[in-house]
Amino acid sequence: MSGDARRMGREPAILLAPGLFFLLLAFFFPAIQLLIQSFLTVGAEAGRLTMEHYAKIVVDDFYAGVALRTFRLALVITVLCLVIGFPLAVVISRAGKLLRTTLIVLLILPLMTSVVIRTFGWLVILGPGGVLSWSLQQLGLIDRSISLMHTETGIVIAMVQVLLPFLVLTTLGSLGQIPVSLEEASRVMGAGFFRSIRHVTLPLSVPGLASGSLLVFALSISSFITPSLVGGVRLQVMAGSIYQQMTGSFDWGFGAALSVVLLIATLALIIPYMVVTSRAGGKA
Amino acid sequence: MHQLSVRSVIKRFGDVTVLEDFDLDVAKGEFIALLGPSGCGKSTLLRIMAGLESLDSGAIDIAGRGVTDLAPENRNIALMFQSYALLPHMSALENVRFPLRMRSKLSREEQREKAHKALELVKLDHLADRYPRQMSGGQQQRVALARSIVAEPDLLLLDEPLSNLDAKLREGMQVELKRLHESLGLTTIFVTHDQSEALGLADRVILMNRGRIEQQGTPEEIYRRPRTVFAADFLGGANIVELDVAKSSRSWRGRFADGTEIPVASAPGLEPGKHKFMLRKEAIAFNPDKSMTAIVGTIETQNYLGSQTRSAIRAGGVELVAVTDSEKTVTKQRETRIGWRPEELVPLQM
Repeated sequence: MSGDARRMGREPAILLAPGLFFLLLAFFFPAIQLLIQSFLTVGAEAGRLTMEHYAKIVVDDFYAGVALRTFRLALVITVLCLVIGFPLAVVISRAGKLLRTTLIVLLILPLMTSVVIRTFGWLVILGPGGVLSWSLQQLGLIDRSISLMHTETGIVIAMVQVLLPFLVLTTLGSLGQIPVSLEEASRVMGAGFFRSIRHVTLPLSVPGLASGSLLVFALSISSFITPSLVGGVRLQVMAGSIYQQMTGSFDWGFGAALSVVLLIATLALIIPYMVVTSRAGGKA
Repeated sequence: MHQLSVRSVIKRFGDVTVLEDFDLDVAKGEFIALLGPSGCGKSTLLRIMAGLESLDSGAIDIAGRGVTDLAPENRNIALMFQSYALLPHMSALENVRFPLRMRSKLSREEQREKAHKALELVKLDHLADRYPRQMSGGQQQRVALARSIVAEPDLLLLDEPLSNLDAKLREGMQVELKRLHESLGLTTIFVTHDQSEALGLADRVILMNRGRIEQQGTPEEIYRRPRTVFAADFLGGANIVELDVAKSSRSWRGRFADGTEIPVASAPGLEPGKHKFMLRKEAIAFNPDKSMTAIVGTIETQNYLGSQTRSAIRAGGVELVAVTDSEKTVTKQRETRIGWRPEELVPLQM
């Protein structure tokens, strides 16, 4: 009997081991190394303790700007994904089987396309003399050719396209758990279609919206390829600067300091968000 | 004027016709049971009244207003779902206040007060701040009931109101529903497949079968005078016996399969030939007196049920089931005389 009880504790540990091992190796180990490196000098007198890398982030306007831009972009992308994604998820959850499958395939299609092809797609649409510019000119809304390439708007549009599926799919999970009778009941009780969504569907989808938006936020704050390709060198984001420090200037200490700031700032935003939304979701 | 009128409603799901040219008029304050086996169309009819299901043709009027094409939110009705459908993110009080929030122009405080009063009516005001998941099934149902009556709907619809409760709670809730109906006077329609619920609660029972009304009437009419085999069988179960009927001089006589002859009460439409009759299990008595129709039978098995005993008796070449008071039941002998009042043998249509 006691042997069984002991094994009961061991079995979950065995199941957990591969994932935990991988996490230690691929995340905690490099993260700790980065943390150490960010406090060490480089160059001739390498290996001494220093705060110079962190000082540089604060003092140099360029890097403060990069950090600010990164968080602003991530925030805008997350909010846009929520605004576009929730109604889309509601429609998909109520659609018939065929329409539902079609919409989901359309939604995740961009994820199956190479980032390079996708970005050139946006170049054709957003670039100078592109489809967007041409259409607006034809409609008489603008009189000169415009380009959204190498703008923050361009980055946001391209990123929302890629990250929308993450929000929609997690929200669909929550929507699927709401019994149809709840929405029917609210209709019979006098709530119209939109009020029914506001008072019943939306509050009960909070768990899905929360995990989806966390995912979107985390992915956009650390994204690197799409912002570099659409935004270009002038509009750097943090992941891009870190890459440049590590591989271009070989300033590992400064790159490490940027990484640590990114990680801590992300956690500082995400943890309170998780606490608040899980409390709101817990009521459901 | 009728509070609800359903006129020539037809509803099909694909090739299956769920409601066939259905008509129903309900007076203000009536308490109606839609009774029938699953698939008879009773739940679909309820959902059509609520506006949750469309109809293929026909019309629905509620409180003198045509509502056929109105969305559920514009009908001023209440529906209590079988699953209760309480909103899990709201407290009991907020759930009960919801229809007022959506419909009435009362201030927030007045709404809360009214919701509280509705909870008092179902004796649940002490749990106003609890969430549905913190309540038992019976308590959740009371909240759902309070939520259904709080906005004074033109029509109260209840979908299988007692089916999710255990036997003891069900009895209490029956009393409660009857009391609420008597004090509020709301026109109420409820769907059930349980004949004892229908008989115990309703002023009028609508027995449905395959999308049509099989028979309707007061609980007593429908129980004592079923017109068809289906009605007799669905309401409480009964002995259905086939007799060969013939007229001799001025009175009717019926012959059992084995040749035993008994007198049969005259009834309109009764013609010579084979005919089915209903004999309720409780109508059969041991040691019949002179006023009764009597035959000789053989007791095959007996089950003691407490205050009553169920006996399977072979008589007239068929098996009859009798449910009798235990102290009046013959138990020691196999051969016995049984009988019933002549009017208890009810002729049925084929």
